[in-house]
Amino acid sequence: MTLAAHSHAAKPLRKRIADASEPYLYSAPALILIIGVMLVPLVLGISYAFRDIQLLNPFSGGFIGLDHFRALGQDQAFFRALRNTLWWTGASVFLQFIFGLILALLLDKPFAGRGLVQALVFLPWAVPSFLAGLNWAWLFNPVIGPLPHWLHALGLLDAPNNILSDPQLAMWGPIAANVWWGIPFFAITLLAALQAIPRDLYEAASIDGAGPVQRFLSITLPFLAPTIAITILLRTVWISNFADLIVVMTNGGPADRTQIVASYIFTQAFKRLDFGYASAIALVLLVLLLVYSLLIVLLRQTMLNKG
Amino acid sequence: MASIDIQSIRKSFGAFPVLHGVDLTIQDGEFIVLVGPSGCGKSTLLRMIAGLERISGGDLLIGGQRMNDVPPAQRGIAMVFQSYALYPHMTVRQNMEFALQIARMPKAEIDKAVENAARILQLTPYLDRLPKALSGGQRQRVAIGRAIVRDPKVFLFDEPLSNLDAALRVATRIEIAQLKEAMPDRTMIYVTHDQVEAMTLASRIVVLARKGIAQVGTPLELYERPVDEFVAQFIGSPAMNLLAGEIIATGAETVVRLDGGGTARSAVPTQTSDMGRKVNIGVRPEDLLAVSGDGLFSGEVQIVEALGEVTQLYVARPGGGAHIIAKLPGIHPDLRHKTVTFGADPAKVHLFADGRSLLYR
Repeated sequence: MTLAAHSHAAKPLRKRIADASEPYLYSAPALILIIGVMLVPLVLGISYAFRDIQLLNPFSGGFIGLDHFRALGQDQAFFRALRNTLWWTGASVFLQFIFGLILALLLDKPFAGRGLVQALVFLPWAVPSFLAGLNWAWLFNPVIGPLPHWLHALGLLDAPNNILSDPQLAMWGPIAANVWWGIPFFAITLLAALQAIPRDLYEAASIDGAGPVQRFLSITLPFLAPTIAITILLRTVWISNFADLIVVMTNGGPADRTQIVASYIFTQAFKRLDFGYASAIALVLLVLLLVYSLLIVLLRQTMLNKG
Repeated sequence: MASIDIQSIRKSFGAFPVLHGVDLTIQDGEFIVLVGPSGCGKSTLLRMIAGLERISGGDLLIGGQRMNDVPPAQRGIAMVFQSYALYPHMTVRQNMEFALQIARMPKAEIDKAVENAARILQLTPYLDRLPKALSGGQRQRVAIGRAIVRDPKVFLFDEPLSNLDAALRVATRIEIAQLKEAMPDRTMIYVTHDQVEAMTLASRIVVLARKGIAQVGTPLELYERPVDEFVAQFIGSPAMNLLAGEIIATGAETVVRLDGGGTARSAVPTQTSDMGRKVNIGVRPEDLLAVSGDGLFSGEVQIVEALGEVTQLYVARPGGGAHIIAKLPGIHPDLRHKTVTFGADPAKVHLFADGRSLLYR
């Protein structure tokens, strides 16, 4: 009797444990992978921000609290990099978006050879960013590149100099490369959104007497708005983190004029080998981007709720 | 004046011709329904009148003015689309106001026009809703309202009821009929593939075939005196039965010996020269009667469709071929697999030679 009762009680218990652990067992592989690949480096990186980690100093590694952040508050180079980041990101995203939108609008109209042109237009996206950077650096080089001579001929430059070595103009070099490289992203996503707009809306609008501008403002833009919001959010985050072109083309120079936060982190970590300070800067950048994303998401949510 | 003159209008898409010279005159205040098989160009014709398709050749006159190159907004037309084509991010009110705001009408007049249209279409409670919060029927009423507020001379409807379910389609059809009644001086052109809409709404129906207009006439003209086999079979459902035969007696009444064995009498007059001519007789399913003794033909009833008010019989054709369809009033559960002889009133028997009706020559 007791044995039977015992086995009776044991079975449900074992089954209960199995039932309870079932969802965790299913999700374990994915969770372990995510934790291993994403969370561990993140926590490690965050912890570096509060430790003194310099690769060339064998005595470093101790916990120093908020010292890095205090230093950061005094670091004029960092604030310059922050301003440069705003400038770099704002100009790049804005120009990429404007040209991408124009390109998408042009590609939305049927014409002979559209398929070929579409394929060609999306080519820059396929070029590795550091190759693009090298090419653009050469294009701006007056010895081998045509751009300074053209700009001079157009009267935009006093002399055919390399703008990458001009402190006032240097930022435009990487921005130009970035715009060239990033237009296809906007063009692709906006073209997809454009092609999802029902054609008969434009027909109804033309019967209602709407001209091209009114059709664009009353139909095209409202339809594109969600796509525009999400692509601008994505591109802003990517571009503000995107140091490849700057590192390749100007390496932050001349005189830190093109140093953005991401390239400053790169310089601190891999040139000065001060991983602790670099991590502290990265943490600040992370927080800033999180706040920005949150604002955009909130904005989009309120827009969608209204609509 | 909103008469419409269509003068040998042609349309081709690239090298592919769709309409080869259509001529049609539409009087002020008519309700014209364009019907035809899919691909016949009925929607294209409507869109050319609207100005949404370029006219490849010929002239379009609205109120006596050539409109070929006039932009849609200045043609005095309004169009209701099959897909409604409402601006999804605008409220019902904004949808209806849109055209008036573009025309820079004073605010007070806009409000009056919108509220008037909303009242006619019972949309007043929904004015501040977005289209996505409306049912299909309400959306279509908004689309009609958007047309009404512009007070156009010509209304164009492109299959406006196709996306509605059956009950709503009937209700909206009646609303459109009432709308026409309320605006007797407005011309309406309506494209549909629905027989009932065509028959009930039209003052005249235009049947388009692949080569252009097959016949224009009042609904009953088309039903009673179709000009050819195409129109005969296109108007009426199920389609008119055609039976091949040979004329054996002419005069005020024609006698045809059918290839299947029977003989048919038709009230269509023929001349002596028609003797021996190969013809098709046409009888509508609803004109076939079960008779005892001699008739047009006898055949086995193979399929019985009991619809309650009528019973549709699919009868084996003598000599083989597609079923002959008969529609008998009432319920006939016992006719399946029986052989029945069918006859018809000579006044209801049409005659076609080489596809053309012998009534017209």
